[in-house]
Amino acid sequence: MGDPSIFKNDLLGAIPSLRAFAMSLAQNADKADDLVQETLVKAWDKQASFQPGTNLKAWVFTILRNEFYSQMRKRGREVQDSDGLITARLAVHPSQLGSMDLNDFRGALETLPEDQREAIILIGASGFSYEEAAEICDCAVGTIKSRVSRARTRLQELLNVSGESDYGPDAISAQVMGSNAA
Amino acid sequence: MRFEMREMRNSGGKRTSMKPNTQAATGGQRKSASRSEPLGVNTEIGRKLKQYYDELVSEDVPDKFADLLKQLEDRETPSSTSNEGN
Repeated sequence: MGDPSIFKNDLLGAIPSLRAFAMSLAQNADKADDLVQETLVKAWDKQASFQPGTNLKAWVFTILRNEFYSQMRKRGREVQDSDGLITARLAVHPSQLGSMDLNDFRGALETLPEDQREAIILIGASGFSYEEAAEICDCAVGTIKSRVSRARTRLQELLNVSGESDYGPDAISAQVMGSNAA
Repeated sequence: MRFEMREMRNSGGKRTSMKPNTQAATGGQRKSASRSEPLGVNTEIGRKLKQYYDELVSEDVPDKFADLLKQLEDRETPSSTSNEGN
């Protein structure tokens, strides 16, 4: 329930974030915009199930994510095909210390499995808490934590970023290996 | 409990790390800074991630999205006054 025009304005306000999240997932501007449009239609149709006062952004992110995975299942995972290429490009174009380019980063991010990519985006960029991210991704908080850790470790490897802190990536990867050896 | 770290043998006789008990006890504290904010702005990955995302968020939003919402809203209230001919 609630005022449809308020709901509409809130949805409008969420569009920039939705598009960013869609781009992070789909890696393609056209697909991302399709995803966002589909999400808006679904959100509108389901607005009765949204509880005013709760986090609308998390709610629409959940819808978008579900839409992304159902589209991907229909399309048969064509998304992953470019992995090899990107990895190769990174291999011959290692970033120099301290001069990591945003394109390098983008390329490295693309090589992550979707579950890790979405986790690190939700936590490290979209500003969600681990609890919110777990709800969006329909999994346990611990699962989100280990995905973020693995994503971070993988990005550091791909981008030749050595110790981020005094302790280096090992502090995180050791945690992951210890609690969730997968 | 006795620590029998087999790897120690291979580590070239370096004995500095042979204090596992105290390490384990304080290890949590030492790591907490990086653990609490593993993607913070003072990490390279954290910074790039935000830069990457902020760039996407700040892109101009095409009108088609606002148009779509307008359509959805109009669809919701079909008995609008504009169509009251007679």
